[in-house]
Amino acid sequence: MTTHTETTTQNETSTGRGFNWQYFLQDNLTGSWHQMLIVLVLAVITGVYAYGQFQESPTSTIVVFVIWLLGIFMVISGEFRKRHTNLSRWLKNNLLSSISNTILTLFLFLILVNAVVGIANWGFINATFDPALTAPELQPEDGATWGVIVGARKLLATGVLGPEYSWRVWTAVFYILGMWLITYIVSRPALKENLRIVRNVINGLWILSPVILYIFLAGVPNSPYNIQGTLTGIVVLLAIYVLLWWQKVIPFSWTSLIGTTAIWPVLYSIWWAIGNNEFFPPINVDEWGGFLLTMIIASSVIVLSLPLGMVLALARQSDVFGIPAWIIWPAAIGATAWGFTTTPGLLETSRNIAEQALSFWPLFILGIAYLIHRMFKGNMVAGASTMFIELVRSVPLITLLFMGINMAPFFFATGTSIPKPWPVIVGYTLFAAAYSAETIRGGLQAIPNGQYEAADALGFNTMQKMRFIILPQALRIVIPAIVGEFIGAFKSSSLVSIVGLFDFLGINRVISSNPQWLGLRLELYVFMGLVYFLGSFIMSSYSRRLEAQLGVGER
Amino acid sequence: MEFEGPAPSFVDEIIIVENVHKWFGEFEALRGVDLRVKPGEVIVIIGPSGSGKSTFIRCLNRLEEHQEGRIIIDGTELSHDIRNIQEVRREVGMVFQQFNLFPHLTVLDNITLAPINVRKWSRDRAEEVAMKWLTRVGIPEQANKYPGQLSGGQQQRVAIARTLSMQPKILLFDEPTSALDPEMIKEVLDVMRDLAKSGYTILAVTHEMGFAREVSDRIIFMDAGKIVEENTPEDFYNNPKEERTRLFLQQILHH
Repeated sequence: MTTHTETTTQNETSTGRGFNWQYFLQDNLTGSWHQMLIVLVLAVITGVYAYGQFQESPTSTIVVFVIWLLGIFMVISGEFRKRHTNLSRWLKNNLLSSISNTILTLFLFLILVNAVVGIANWGFINATFDPALTAPELQPEDGATWGVIVGARKLLATGVLGPEYSWRVWTAVFYILGMWLITYIVSRPALKENLRIVRNVINGLWILSPVILYIFLAGVPNSPYNIQGTLTGIVVLLAIYVLLWWQKVIPFSWTSLIGTTAIWPVLYSIWWAIGNNEFFPPINVDEWGGFLLTMIIASSVIVLSLPLGMVLALARQSDVFGIPAWIIWPAAIGATAWGFTTTPGLLETSRNIAEQALSFWPLFILGIAYLIHRMFKGNMVAGASTMFIELVRSVPLITLLFMGINMAPFFFATGTSIPKPWPVIVGYTLFAAAYSAETIRGGLQAIPNGQYEAADALGFNTMQKMRFIILPQALRIVIPAIVGEFIGAFKSSSLVSIVGLFDFLGINRVISSNPQWLGLRLELYVFMGLVYFLGSFIMSSYSRRLEAQLGVGER
Repeated sequence: MEFEGPAPSFVDEIIIVENVHKWFGEFEALRGVDLRVKPGEVIVIIGPSGSGKSTFIRCLNRLEEHQEGRIIIDGTELSHDIRNIQEVRREVGMVFQQFNLFPHLTVLDNITLAPINVRKWSRDRAEEVAMKWLTRVGIPEQANKYPGQLSGGQQQRVAIARTLSMQPKILLFDEPTSALDPEMIKEVLDVMRDLAKSGYTILAVTHEMGFAREVSDRIIFMDAGKIVEENTPEDFYNNPKEERTRLFLQQILHH
């Protein structure tokens, strides 16, 4: 009796142990009017839901209710005996810690049971797993037809691509997987120092892999040997070599000079020889589809947008000496005058007010000149990069994709047919690059000024400063955000189905309009969701590992 | 500790500064600074905050651009020509208040990065030189750690080793001990003292009066963007020429 009084007096100051009805009610119910309201609303919702469930499936609802009451009883008795079992303590701390939590527990428990029962019924109990199901009448009424995933695996994997090419797709897949595996093995710390040559070969293969994958997945057209093009290639490479040597970026050596001369003819000859062989006939890339197309688009966009974004971010920050106003303004006024004189009668022939307004288009040149002069102090590099980023970011992706497909013919000779995947990849890459550029710019801004100054004081030139000091730090900062964008690019690639490509998600339409699998959608969406989840999960776990690896020595 | 001296210089005056002006927007930070420094001279620049002393030494390796006047370093005039700037920066080392080590590189990589990529040395040679300097500043055992794992004094000594491994002729110190805890100041000052004795041309902005008195050949007092007084250490402390100097010395010596 005495002990009991003692605990009660303790409860006057702390609600930790023992039980005090007054405090209990104040904490859970009568503390404030909105607390009461929340509990009331929760109770009503739960009651209505539970009643509905009870009418539909009384047994499961009663079972849930009894379990819930049992839990409450365990917690209350534990409280009164002042001695909890492990289970009742866990229940008290997690599920039944307050009145509102207790009600919420019942509500969620009911929903969970309902969902599990529903999914189990649809996905397993009433489902068929027969991949050879031939007619929609044989599909179960209220269950899944999982056979469609096995049965339509070819469409899901490569779309309508002809079966004669499947060995090429498989080779490409194994090539990539093999490359990952070898890279993983040779980059382990234990082997890192000894296998320098192997690693160089691997790096070279990675650089060449876009070409290798292109040969496998798109093929090489049979064409006569282009001597003019070969010579041009040699001249261009030599010019770059001389330029780099002159600017003291690379030292001169005969081996590197001969290598530079030889690399283009050698690569071109291999390319040409592959084209004159029947192993890799060109594939009509409009036939790419399914997971293959999704992977091609997503990985091209991811691989291309990062360097492009880096260039854009650096360009936007560039502080190269600007073009002075006395050049900008005369040039702009001259261009405006030229615009008005070359397109005279626009105002007379315009039919409505919009066309009348548009007939003054050369005034835009003055506007752009004003922007470049005032906002970017004549700095064309920063100005052009900023305008590109802001323009692309202010347009929906779909618009860019449509524009890509419809505007691509303008850039080529009339009558050239451009397969859809290319303009889609280009448009999507520009879109993703504009976003990565802003992310990377954020990373660049996080680098303290002292890092730039230390690099300058040590005599690094701008390229070296960026490559060795600024970008490694900036990119590490933005890994989480950049990987987020990669995941977004991977998932949003499903938007290409709107412009008439049958990617992994878009192929759904083809499959479900197939007489054999007529009307099947949910099964496919579940499967696709799972695949997208796996891809994103792999990327985000890799990013977390990368962060941990690169975080070594960070302050 | 015995330091290897700098490469010899073949000019009479290694730093020539003539009537240098520098504006930050409307604010005139330097209002006509003149200075001539012989090879091997050790000069300490002091002055109240905002007097332009940091700006001045940052102009000497073009971290700041001066708008008027001439700066000639070891026979090369600093102009808009990027090649001249690069050349001067190779000969002028700078040590910063905040160390500015590269946090993503180990101590050894911090030191060897510039010799390998700017001086085009082989990695072996750069590492040899780096270890030599790390030994001289007394922390060879920290070579494979990252800057974040070192104390402030150790970081500043790494920064000095990084600067020295580029084999500069001139060393600029921009308040090298101001960001350090008191017990670490001494280890950095010891290194600086030894450098001063081994023939480097040194310009140091510092508030360490003991250091200034002991090793400097000249003390320069700057105020409001101008050099107010140039004097030998003894006369500077005991017998300053200018009233402004006397006031400043009173303030810093009697706090």
